[in-house]
Amino acid sequence: MSERSLDVVQRWFQAVVSHPGGIEGGAASPEAQELIRLNRGELEAVVRRSRNLTAAERLSIYANAYYSRLLECMGANYPILKQALGEEVFDSFAFEYLQRYPSRSYTLDHLGERFAQFLEETRPDAEEAVGWPDFLIDLATFEWTIAKVFDGPGAEGRTLLTPEALQSFPAERFAEARLVPVPCLRVLAFRFPVNAYYTAARRVEEGEEVPIPEPGEEHVAVTRRDFIVRRYPLTSPQYALLREILADATVGEAIAAAAAVTDLDDEAFAVELRAWFRFWVAEGFFVAVA
Amino acid sequence: MKPPRLGHDNLGLGVGLRSVHFDYVLKNQPEVDWFEIISENFIDSQGRPRYVLQQIAERYPVVMHGVSLSIGSTDPLDVEYLKKLKRLAKEVDAQWISDHLCWTGILGRNTHDLLPVPFTEETLRHVVERVKTVQDVLERPFVLENPSSYITFQDSTMDEWEFVTRMAEEADCGLLLDVNNVYVSSFNHDMDPDRFIRSLPHERIVQFHLAGHTDYTTHLIDTHDNHVIDPVWELYRTAHQLTGGVSTLLEWDANIPPFPVVHEEVLKAKRFMGEHLPAIEEKEEEPALVGAGSSVPHPLHHIRPEVE
Repeated sequence: MSERSLDVVQRWFQAVVSHPGGIEGGAASPEAQELIRLNRGELEAVVRRSRNLTAAERLSIYANAYYSRLLECMGANYPILKQALGEEVFDSFAFEYLQRYPSRSYTLDHLGERFAQFLEETRPDAEEAVGWPDFLIDLATFEWTIAKVFDGPGAEGRTLLTPEALQSFPAERFAEARLVPVPCLRVLAFRFPVNAYYTAARRVEEGEEVPIPEPGEEHVAVTRRDFIVRRYPLTSPQYALLREILADATVGEAIAAAAAVTDLDDEAFAVELRAWFRFWVAEGFFVAVA
Repeated sequence: MKPPRLGHDNLGLGVGLRSVHFDYVLKNQPEVDWFEIISENFIDSQGRPRYVLQQIAERYPVVMHGVSLSIGSTDPLDVEYLKKLKRLAKEVDAQWISDHLCWTGILGRNTHDLLPVPFTEETLRHVVERVKTVQDVLERPFVLENPSSYITFQDSTMDEWEFVTRMAEEADCGLLLDVNNVYVSSFNHDMDPDRFIRSLPHERIVQFHLAGHTDYTTHLIDTHDNHVIDPVWELYRTAHQLTGGVSTLLEWDANIPPFPVVHEEVLKAKRFMGEHLPAIEEKEEEPALVGAGSSVPHPLHHIRPEVE
């Protein structure tokens, strides 16, 4: 019996069980053949058969488990996208994705991190206008953001900016001040109303379908409070303002960005601004003003 | 002569902590002897999973069980991962840290499966060296589990139990004997599970695992989705007698029932520990759970976000 090196056996095994064409395709692939040259039907030169199963049948258990496990995990990362596409179509996208971006991390938490990028990369070229692929990309981006906010850094247990502290901050220094956001605050701009879709899709009974929405600009803030992810629809000016605050702009610079996209007159805009800040502070968007 | 369990405590009958039971455990503080966590669910968490774990660790003994160490791979050990394990172990005062005698990937990839190694002298030398390194880094008791497997290699020159015994003795590490995995692998490889268990160095067994599996007639898959079957309980009885009793843990990872059902399942272990233990109420056998019929070996380790 020739003892092959452990390294060769492992590289061969991985090439065979993760091959998209199954065990036979994997064993016949150049990658596997370069390591262990086998003719068709010779798998038993490497793997023993059992009383009940051939070597190919036994290896297939690992091959099936490889994709089943990772597709299950992709579906858990993107439950609403999976619901939107249906299991078969979702799995076919995810199957292709796993071949282009196989896991290289000790944790499954990173498995889906490039899925939106993958959907962008494989977007049909013919689709020049905003269309169906953009809905998928936006929804994938949204669900990934939710997952990261859920288990990423948060502000639980920290002292947050209170409405009283904001109220007592000297008005003449406010424009030059910076609002320090909680580390879990994100703002997103979409081409489709994916936050509204997400809400609707979570409410329906299993088997019911939520129609894919028409294109339409949507802005949303995502944050976490008491370990639960919270979603806030935003208007364009609100989005512009929070985006600038997250980019470390001063309050004055952020307000200027919001003013550039508002339809309101100065007086009405000022009233709105005060209400926004009060609401966001009450919702725990900020740690401090300084 | 090593002391039983390598001198580690017998923690009693524990349950594998799963996220679907977080609320129940926090609210009800069930009388469970100890919890085992899947390390990868928590080592990077800065959200609710970590927060829940901190509270559980204040009340219960905790053991860390990993699925990504890849001790048998010829890729280099992931030192960053080891450091994270070590930090979390300190934070929750883990009694010991365990993983599997397997590899999970090569060439930088992770299949997220517990893949089998050929039982050869080369593999043995390789694994022993790496176990020693891991023990040096972790500075905490380290324990390796026999995984369920679905193939054996032509290159193997020894039985699994011989490999496991020599590995544990040469690397001076503990063993996590998964009784269900012995049953599953023995069925799949036409081996005698009783001989497997009798051939191990019993004083090195620090912990037992119990779980359900799925019977596909020609082979068994370690799905962790059902009750423990009677032949596995009988093997557990043997293992209990041979070791004198060690910390026992039930894993349930798919079609997970309410917490009391999982807890009740591990408490059945008392029936197999000997006549001197207090009698427990006999209950009618639960019907097998029928459901997803997953063919995916577990454990998986992904926690779904909570979103309002």
